[in-house]
Amino acid sequence: MKTNALIFGLNEYTVEIEKNISADFENVHIFNLADEGENSFDLSDNWDDLSSQIDMQESVAFCILEDMAENIFLTISLRDTFKELTIVALAKDKESADKLTLAGATRALPTTQTTANIIVEMLEKPIVTEVLHDILYEKSALKIAQIKIEDHTVFDGKYPADIEWSRDHGIIVISVVHEDMSGEFIYSAKAKHHLIKSGDIFVVVGYEQDIKDFEKLIGNRCE
Amino acid sequence: MITLIFMSVTILIREVKSHVNDDLLFFNNYIVSFIFFIEYILRLWVSSSVTKIIIEQSEHDIMIGDKFNLFKALKDIFAVKMKYILSVKAMIDLLAIIPFFHQLRLLRIFILFRVFKLFRYAKSIQTFTSVVASKKFEFFTLLIFASIIIFVSSVLIYVMEANNPDSAINTLFEAVYWSIVTISTVGFGDITPVSQEGRVVAMFVIVAGIGVFSFTTSLIVTSFTEKLDEIKDTKMIDDISKLEEFYLICGYENVAKEVAKKLSENNKVIILEEDYHKAEQAKKDGFVSLNYDPGSVESYKKLRINLETQVKAILCLSHSDVENVYTALTVRSFNKEVFILSILINKMNRNKLNFAGVNELFYEKELVGIIAKDFVGHPVAFEAIHALRSSYNGIDVEEIVVSDRILENFAMVGELENIKYRVVLLGIYKKSKKRFFFNPIDSTLLETGDYLLVIGNTQLVKEFTKYLQKKGSKK
Repeated sequence: MKTNALIFGLNEYTVEIEKNISADFENVHIFNLADEGENSFDLSDNWDDLSSQIDMQESVAFCILEDMAENIFLTISLRDTFKELTIVALAKDKESADKLTLAGATRALPTTQTTANIIVEMLEKPIVTEVLHDILYEKSALKIAQIKIEDHTVFDGKYPADIEWSRDHGIIVISVVHEDMSGEFIYSAKAKHHLIKSGDIFVVVGYEQDIKDFEKLIGNRCE
Repeated sequence: MITLIFMSVTILIREVKSHVNDDLLFFNNYIVSFIFFIEYILRLWVSSSVTKIIIEQSEHDIMIGDKFNLFKALKDIFAVKMKYILSVKAMIDLLAIIPFFHQLRLLRIFILFRVFKLFRYAKSIQTFTSVVASKKFEFFTLLIFASIIIFVSSVLIYVMEANNPDSAINTLFEAVYWSIVTISTVGFGDITPVSQEGRVVAMFVIVAGIGVFSFTTSLIVTSFTEKLDEIKDTKMIDDISKLEEFYLICGYENVAKEVAKKLSENNKVIILEEDYHKAEQAKKDGFVSLNYDPGSVESYKKLRINLETQVKAILCLSHSDVENVYTALTVRSFNKEVFILSILINKMNRNKLNFAGVNELFYEKELVGIIAKDFVGHPVAFEAIHALRSSYNGIDVEEIVVSDRILENFAMVGELENIKYRVVLLGIYKKSKKRFFFNPIDSTLLETGDYLLVIGNTQLVKEFTKYLQKKGSKK
């Protein structure tokens, strides 16, 4: 887990993001778009002051400027200087989100679409929403984990769909991420013809203890 | 009723030159007339509420401290009923019953009045009448103008031609007949002016006729154009009132657009938007949209819908908390049960929306905060759930309700054969225990109302659902 959170932009989103993430980071720095003043930044490419004060390797940046053009410019500017930085950027709509992704954001969040999706999900799939919500917030004992296969001999010569995961291991495997990082649903045609081998990553749902047992069997958890 | 009307008229036409079966005549004269008579009495009965008049009179008398005046109440009832009896619609209904007195043979022609009853049943005729009625003044002016032309030209042609032995116009009636035929631009040609003066009158009438004809046409077209939106709305409201279930979205802005787009994939969506341009935009985007104020009770009355049975939820998605509070309060003022969901723009207004009776609130900024926390706190779960939520690569997480039909053939989880359909059964939500059971064992019993949470290719999940339903029905 990274230690610093850098929030670029001062508006209502800042308050909510700061409130929610403060427990996950040692330091939360908020920067305002202004020419002068403490904790201010401008859209020039000079980030020397910032990098001298904060360990950027251990930081996550949140770009939440309300002007989309400025937000995209900020994202490009950060990405250009800090190649490895995790950047979460807010977008008004899908179009801006695509542009932010092109600009180098690790994750772009289109606010309108996200709100609409959550509203529709709540109306159309209330049970799914509740269950996924509980898993995500760890309100139930269920967890989602990513497990890398270290020792493929356990499943030698088997395909993911052939194994009775739930009966044998008490977990459910949702998808398999291959070496080339392409994720495939467990029952998709591609995954069906892919022999399990070391380096494959399984995304699994299960209770903590069952996941630990499974880890012991095949590899280690990667977060 | 429409069938009865057409049967009556068909029998009347057949009777003119052929013998009609006595049973049919009996049916036409007595049975049909009797049905219309019953209809007339019922319409008379429901035209106004007798009880309401009596109660109003009683309340009035109690309020001013008098004894209940029954005579006054009866007088009011009589006046109201007479007003209905003397209305055009009621007169037509009454005349349509007259053929019942078949001894008066001439009165049989009144069967044709039954045709006028079609006005009651055919919506398009009512629409046409209402459109024409909206231009009453213009039509009246036109009528006066045409009458003056007909009168003047009839007198002129009579004066010019009546004494001419070659002319076919000998009486004032013939002169009026010629004028009307000419001014209407029909011109049968059975009567034509022969004198020079008569022909001048004819030219004058023909020119006036063109004016009258074009004025009438333009009047009808204009009134239809003006009323077009209203006619379309009426048709739309009729269609809406017939819908079984739909979502009512109040406001059409950014979030509403997205929600409407997603909900309309599997549901009917109706949009109420006060702003004309936004309502039109919603129509252009392919939604059923009405330019009504969602904060007015009148709008819901016009819609003629049952909020409890037809509306799945009311979504207040305007980008103004003031409007959303107003809409929620309006709905709550006449319905306490319907589910109301609203977005919150400024968190200071959260309590106000809750107070207005909103069941579920969505605050966009808070959601963003939570999502940001998910992303940094549980990146694996976040990505996996995000992929499932957004139907990434066609993989979706769905809930299937266990119906009686499904239960008939599948008693236990182990019988579901979901793996055959390449569907992952994540778990079961037990309705009776209100609890989610992850990865249930094969011997878990299914119950009606339980939800199966499945993950799979959208198409395969659909096929799996179909399989569960079909297999149940075969039994």
